Amino acid sequence: MAAPCVFWGAAVSYRLFLGSRVSLALRQGVWKAAAAELQILRLRHTTGVTAKKNVAALKRETYTVDFIKKQIEEFNIGKRHLANMMGEDPETFTQEDIDRAIAYLFPSGLFEKQARPIMKHPEQIFPKQRAIQWGEDGRPFHFLFYTGKQSYYSLMHEAYGKLLDVEKRQNQLQAKGLFSEKTKTKDLIGSRWLIKEELEEMLVEKLSDQDYAQFIRLLERLLTVECSAEEEEFVQRFRRSVTVQSRKQLIEPLQYDGQGMAFSTSEGKRKSAKAEAIVYEHGSGRIKVNGIDYLLYFPVTQDREQLMFPFHFLDRLGKHDVTCTVSGGGRSSQAGAIRLAMAKALCSFVTEEEVEWMRQAGLLTADPRVRERKKPGQEGARRKFTWKKR
Amino acid sequence: MRSRMFPFDSSLRTSELTQVRGSRYGPEYKDPQVDKEYYRKPLAELTEEEKYERELRKTQHIKAAPASKTSSVFEDPVISKFTNMIMKGGNKVLARSLMAQTLEAVKRKQFEKYHAASAEERASIERNPYTIFHQALKNCEPVIGLVPILRGGHFYQVPVPLADRRRRFLAMKWMITECREKKHRRVLMPEKLSHELLEAFHNQGPVIKKKHDMHKMAEANRALAHYRWW
Repeated sequence: MAAPCVFWGAAVSYRLFLGSRVSLALRQGVWKAAAAELQILRLRHTTGVTAKKNVAALKRETYTVDFIKKQIEEFNIGKRHLANMMGEDPETFTQEDIDRAIAYLFPSGLFEKQARPIMKHPEQIFPKQRAIQWGEDGRPFHFLFYTGKQSYYSLMHEAYGKLLDVEKRQNQLQAKGLFSEKTKTKDLIGSRWLIKEELEEMLVEKLSDQDYAQFIRLLERLLTVECSAEEEEFVQRFRRSVTVQSRKQLIEPLQYDGQGMAFSTSEGKRKSAKAEAIVYEHGSGRIKVNGIDYLLYFPVTQDREQLMFPFHFLDRLGKHDVTCTVSGGGRSSQAGAIRLAMAKALCSFVTEEEVEWMRQAGLLTADPRVRERKKPGQEGARRKFTWKKR
Repeated sequence: MRSRMFPFDSSLRTSELTQVRGSRYGPEYKDPQVDKEYYRKPLAELTEEEKYERELRKTQHIKAAPASKTSSVFEDPVISKFTNMIMKGGNKVLARSLMAQTLEAVKRKQFEKYHAASAEERASIERNPYTIFHQALKNCEPVIGLVPILRGGHFYQVPVPLADRRRRFLAMKWMITECREKKHRRVLMPEKLSHELLEAFHNQGPVIKKKHDMHKMAEANRALAHYRWW
């Protein structure tokens, strides 16, 4: 609530200034000072002081080019200082090193990651702004300025120009008889189109959904026809890569026990149950949980089905022996924890393709669902108290 | 408002709304595909769409498989849904055992009939409890339903075509309610349920009657059909 106080202070000081000027102009006197004081006292007791809105402060802050340049210089100098402080080479100090250094020097317990201290390049912190689009005579520089979305329309113009070029080239080839069908297929899965927000940021302009859709359609048309390297590069500027999830799975290394039997260990969690499973390469499908046979430890069929799930999925039902320890949770969550541990351990015995299949079947993801807390003013997590009319 | 760089991978949340308040998974998480045969299909048999779908799934985050789902051939989604609807207070063990006893009772009754019947009739007696169950529920599904629509201060029951999932739900709900309310307190649930399922399989019984009542009401209120705007 700083803003009202500022205005209040400004109003008071303004009145004070006026009051003092008037009293000095007319007569010097103790009682005039007293009257001024009374005025101040009176001011202190009035509520709802109306003050003029500070219109200038409401407008978006504009950063000049010089200011940004200065910030960039300061950032670079600061980066070198930081590298020196950390004992690293200033030339090869990357952004990740900066982040690590800042996290080390300014440890913060705040949960909100964006509230913690950051040191990034000014281009990432200050929003991109447009320089003045017209010269001293008032004439705009860009020929499409009066469309309102000059960057967008010039981009469309460029893309359509490229499309026309490509089509003309194809017509020429067809006329000569050297026409060939488009043979190469692009990697459509590993990348995706820019989303509307990213495009807006790139062009520093607001776009509508239809504009964006039109642009993507044009780019897709460009993709369907065979185009040269520079057109490819133009299209690739608007594609972003998408991570392939399968590569992220950690595969445990195999270990060997005294008899030369290979085994693999892994952990699993579900709600508050923690399990550790040791899967042996050769066996007859015996599962021991905390030293007890699984048939006795899990009398409920559903739990035993969950234990069987990873093996049945990979068609290895009677082929492995498992020893596991589990603690915490209830019967169902213990079964889920063991299932996850077993699936993870099985990854070491199985091909990469099968690991991806397991991931897509949901066997390798830890279930994040936990019990929702009860809220005050309600009977349970979601249930409200009975509504009474009076 | 300062604009920030958006994370450039599949965890974008810009145009998609979060599905449920407080879901522990992000909106980008997809449901797992548990069926073994889906993965064992050789690459040559797949169509273009299926290949694209496979490639796409490699980039998506997948949720964990729930505790009630396995890749077993004996698992049936309809039976699982029905078991969950019978369940009271989270007692899945009891619900599952009731379901198993119901299917066993259905099978026993059909086998008794089979052994008591002559050779010509034997061919027409269905003994698989799962087919009986599915057929019974299908027979109980209403085609058209009634929806209360507020117009001029009064609620009118307007006939409305029902979605598939709503029909399946109504069939199961009617079956369970009927069995719970209209049975003698000494009669056990599996016995009553098996009896109702067999009657529904032959298009008789109180649940089928309820379906016909619903159809008749819809027919009677035919004039109000134009109150529907979707």
